[in-house]
Amino acid sequence: MALEAKLSHTAAMILQALDAGFVYGFSIMEMTGLPSGTVYPAMRRLERDELILSKWEKQAIADAEQRPPRKYYKLTAAGWSTLQASRRRYPLLERLIPSESLQTEEARSL
Amino acid sequence: MKPSFKPVFSAIEAGLLCCAAQFVPYGQRADWLREWQAELWHVRQERAPMEQLSWQAEREIASFCLGAFQDAFCLSHYRWKLGTLLTALHGTATQCLLMLFAVLAVSYGIARFSPGVCAERMLSTRLQRPGLILIQNAGEASTTIAPQQYLAWKSHRHSFFDGFAFYRVAEESIQPVSGNGSAPKEPWKIAQASSNLLALLGLPVRFATAEPKGSNDLPDVILSESFWKIEFGADPQIAGRMVRIGQRRARVAGVVAEDSWNLPGKVGAWLLQPDSALAANGDGFIVAHLTPAGKEKFWAPVMQITEYDQDDSGPSFLGYNIDEWQPGSWGIYWLGIAFALISLPAVTSVSLGEYSLNPQKTSWGRRLYRWSFFSAKIALLLPIVYFSTLDIAYIRTAHYSHSSADIQMLSTFAFFLFGLRWALLDHRQRCPVCLRRVEHPVEVGLASRTFLAWNGTEMMCMGGHTLLHIPALPTSWFDAQRWLYLDTSWKFLFVGSGVG
Repeated sequence: MALEAKLSHTAAMILQALDAGFVYGFSIMEMTGLPSGTVYPAMRRLERDELILSKWEKQAIADAEQRPPRKYYKLTAAGWSTLQASRRRYPLLERLIPSESLQTEEARSL
Repeated sequence: MKPSFKPVFSAIEAGLLCCAAQFVPYGQRADWLREWQAELWHVRQERAPMEQLSWQAEREIASFCLGAFQDAFCLSHYRWKLGTLLTALHGTATQCLLMLFAVLAVSYGIARFSPGVCAERMLSTRLQRPGLILIQNAGEASTTIAPQQYLAWKSHRHSFFDGFAFYRVAEESIQPVSGNGSAPKEPWKIAQASSNLLALLGLPVRFATAEPKGSNDLPDVILSESFWKIEFGADPQIAGRMVRIGQRRARVAGVVAEDSWNLPGKVGAWLLQPDSALAANGDGFIVAHLTPAGKEKFWAPVMQITEYDQDDSGPSFLGYNIDEWQPGSWGIYWLGIAFALISLPAVTSVSLGEYSLNPQKTSWGRRLYRWSFFSAKIALLLPIVYFSTLDIAYIRTAHYSHSSADIQMLSTFAFFLFGLRWALLDHRQRCPVCLRRVEHPVEVGLASRTFLAWNGTEMMCMGGHTLLHIPALPTSWFDAQRWLYLDTSWKFLFVGSGVG
């Protein structure tokens, strides 16, 4: 719980963006509007605190698409529970960045 | 066809990311750089997918690249504390080169602002004018020459000489005409000289003024440095002051270091007189400068000079070579370097250890890196020795002197000899893989001595690459140090050492 209480709004936005399917640094920057100098170190700290995991894409996939391999991030179980706590603390978070499940529900209702 | 600026911008952006990566701790640098580069590719695809140039897109891409610096500085918040930085640098090749750079900067700074070194540099370009001889009478009764002889030689053109000057030494009182200077207790020796003497000798005159001389002007007097210090308290405003020499008045036109005066007679001042005034004085010495043809014909320590008259007999003179060998600071420096190189095998082994004999083949790049580092150390050592020895030689004096040259010679020899020794010893104890100094010396214990018949010391690379074995007693089968390359099974010992 101590970790949850310390989570900043920036970190909460990044967790929310990851949950919403934005799984690499530049897309998180695009979604959240946070600058690169904030997003990448924040993700490193979240990774250090084991709230997110990172994994380099396979070289073969990148080669097939003729681009450099990129680093993908995903939430851990601890990260997921921290995000739930953050959503309670920052109620507007889900409205700012709708999560994948919410987007699917909205699409269905339409 | 419009030129494409994209490759230029791409190169600048890649350069920015590489620069930013230098601020990231070594262990994480490659990962960060790889991620930035991957992300940059996507940023570029997103912002500027077409070939045409868009300043707005380039600005956004540049701001992404500049964000990499913020990333790197953010890491410093919890990674780049001074202690951590020093720990990361400890024992590395970078630390060694940085220290050498610091020493070089300090020694150059002192040399740059030291008045003695500046005077020496000025002197080395102007002092020793080659081809000068001192002409004396060959007769046994007196070695001096009448001023009329000087005037006669000067009035004619010669194929072997292109300049003559005259001086005689006299003991006269010299004192300031006005001001706070008091009369000297003892008379000083004055050189009554032709006005071109110092110019012919090529002696640099300090505080010389470029005032034009009028026809009614007083004769100039040049003071020796010791006279200037004793009688005028080293007053820097000395130029233009009036002094009285005997019954005459003269104007001070500058100061000359007497160390650079190597002609007969220790003098306190040089009274520069017109030729007409010299003729009325007594005998003295003639200084002459040889033309290239004269040097080719006469050049020797002592030259016989005979002036033939109409009946093929005339007075004989002796010309003494006063063109004393002065190698200058560069000459002294290179001489000291050469002596040190010759003496090096006497103080240490010139081997670099077992680098070339190790069974594990190292890549050419790694070998080049090692040799580049060693060359960089020597390249930094050379100017350090030059500037620091000049600092030592001229720290107590503000002008050139023979004793300073001797000090420079000795210190160049000693500094370069022991500097080379240090460079070799240092290189022998650097890990061939990462060039970090090996540490934690362990002396092999009694058991090994007894059962393995091996005495020596083991040292370890903190990067976990190598172990260095140094035999305590060289034997026929183990006479030089050996490197043991560690495999990956040793890695667990070095986890968390912070060394890459």
